[in-house]
Amino acid sequence: MVRLDPYSPTPASRAGRIFTIVAPFVMGLVCVLLSFVPFGRIVGSSLTPAFVLMAIYYWAIVRPEMFPPIAVFTVGLVFDLLSGGIIGLWAFVYVVTYAVVISQRMLVVNAPFTVFWFGFLVVAAFTGALAWAVVSIFHGMPVPPSTLVRHMVLTVAVFPIFVMIFGRIQTRVLPGS
Amino acid sequence: MDSNRTALPFREFSHRISLVFMLTLAAALLLLGRAETYVFDQARQVVTDLAAPLLEVASRPVAAARRIIERTDEYAYVFDENERLRAENARLLAWKEMALNLEARVARYEALLNVQLDPSINYVSGRAVSDAGGPFVDTVLVNVGREQGAKSGLAVVDTDGLVGRIVSTGPKASRVLLLTDLNSRIPVVIEPAHYKAVLAGDNTEWPKLEYLTNVSAVSPGDRVVTSGDGGLIPSGLPVGLVIQTNDGNLRVQTFSDRGRLDFVRVLQYEFPWQVERQDPPEVLKGPPASSSGSAASGTAAVAPGGTE
Repeated sequence: MVRLDPYSPTPASRAGRIFTIVAPFVMGLVCVLLSFVPFGRIVGSSLTPAFVLMAIYYWAIVRPEMFPPIAVFTVGLVFDLLSGGIIGLWAFVYVVTYAVVISQRMLVVNAPFTVFWFGFLVVAAFTGALAWAVVSIFHGMPVPPSTLVRHMVLTVAVFPIFVMIFGRIQTRVLPGS
Repeated sequence: MDSNRTALPFREFSHRISLVFMLTLAAALLLLGRAETYVFDQARQVVTDLAAPLLEVASRPVAAARRIIERTDEYAYVFDENERLRAENARLLAWKEMALNLEARVARYEALLNVQLDPSINYVSGRAVSDAGGPFVDTVLVNVGREQGAKSGLAVVDTDGLVGRIVSTGPKASRVLLLTDLNSRIPVVIEPAHYKAVLAGDNTEWPKLEYLTNVSAVSPGDRVVTSGDGGLIPSGLPVGLVIQTNDGNLRVQTFSDRGRLDFVRVLQYEFPWQVERQDPPEVLKGPPASSSGSAASGTAAVAPGGTE
């Protein structure tokens, strides 16, 4: 009788499995880097969208088990360290935002795209308001909100493009999608 | 029984515990971060040094795309631009004559007065490789670090004028605090009235003028340059023009455009902090000791020198 050897995954399949587990987190880090690439200079502007917020919202709704709170915290902390701003600001704001999104996830999880987009608009407004409040408390005075408003408007405007990109990655790279 | 079904509540529970823990940790970090400890500064520098080469590579296509757009624009308006440059050239030739005359006159005055000039300024060129990255911070990374001679506090300029100053340096990259950042304060002087003020960023496009003693003597269109007060930034660096906003406040439209930052220069200079003692000239020391009032006049002459 032929005996079959027990199944043991090859190094390549192990690497692939690890990649699929860490993929959303890696995408979060890539979004952090993208936030600092001066895309705005092409058109003579210093505005960039909040790429990290888009990644957090998308993955918290679509695959929360693959983007755990520790990943959100790490991504926020790296952003803080790289931006040269208040340490812990975006780590705190993004973790709170993540908690809010997770708690309201069922409202948008299988909804049409317009609802998904509207949900992001609400989340962007909440995140902006929270960040503005923390920074104003930190500096002991209300900081001018004009730059923040433009930043969030741009983020909401370009969100559909990133949903498309994240969607492609989700269906082509991640299993069980 | 399906093992996945039994694991699900546990997974959700651990997810919630993890979320609460991360929330607490983030809040604690936010409070601890106020202390701006050495650990955070080091971590910041390590992350910056790791990210700078990646950002430099990523920013090259952006710079190339911008150049293509600018070139296309230039081609579209090449005749108009030619006319404008001819007119400007004619104007500048007249200015050149005047500048040469003034240069010769200033050189004569300096020789007559034996005036001490500002410290000589060298520079290192580099590229702004990153964007501000957030709505509350106006800093950029430049690919000039300690190894190239960058130091905290040095001024950074581009072809148009002052961009900001270095606030932290790593071996390969430095962080530049732009004039528009909430934490930026630069001593300036407004010409031609020569009133001093402090240029204070507030995260808007146009920094404010603070501590301006005589607001009525300054009008929109006046030129703002660095005053050199405090020994931080050399005097005379062009900063911008005074503008008046709709609410009547005086602000500054900076010459350097942060939306078009590319190549920058880090100015290297050393202010003379160590001032050597200098005795007053002999003629001011009074008559010789033989006269009756010699003790009093001798003391008075030595006093300004410092100790004795």
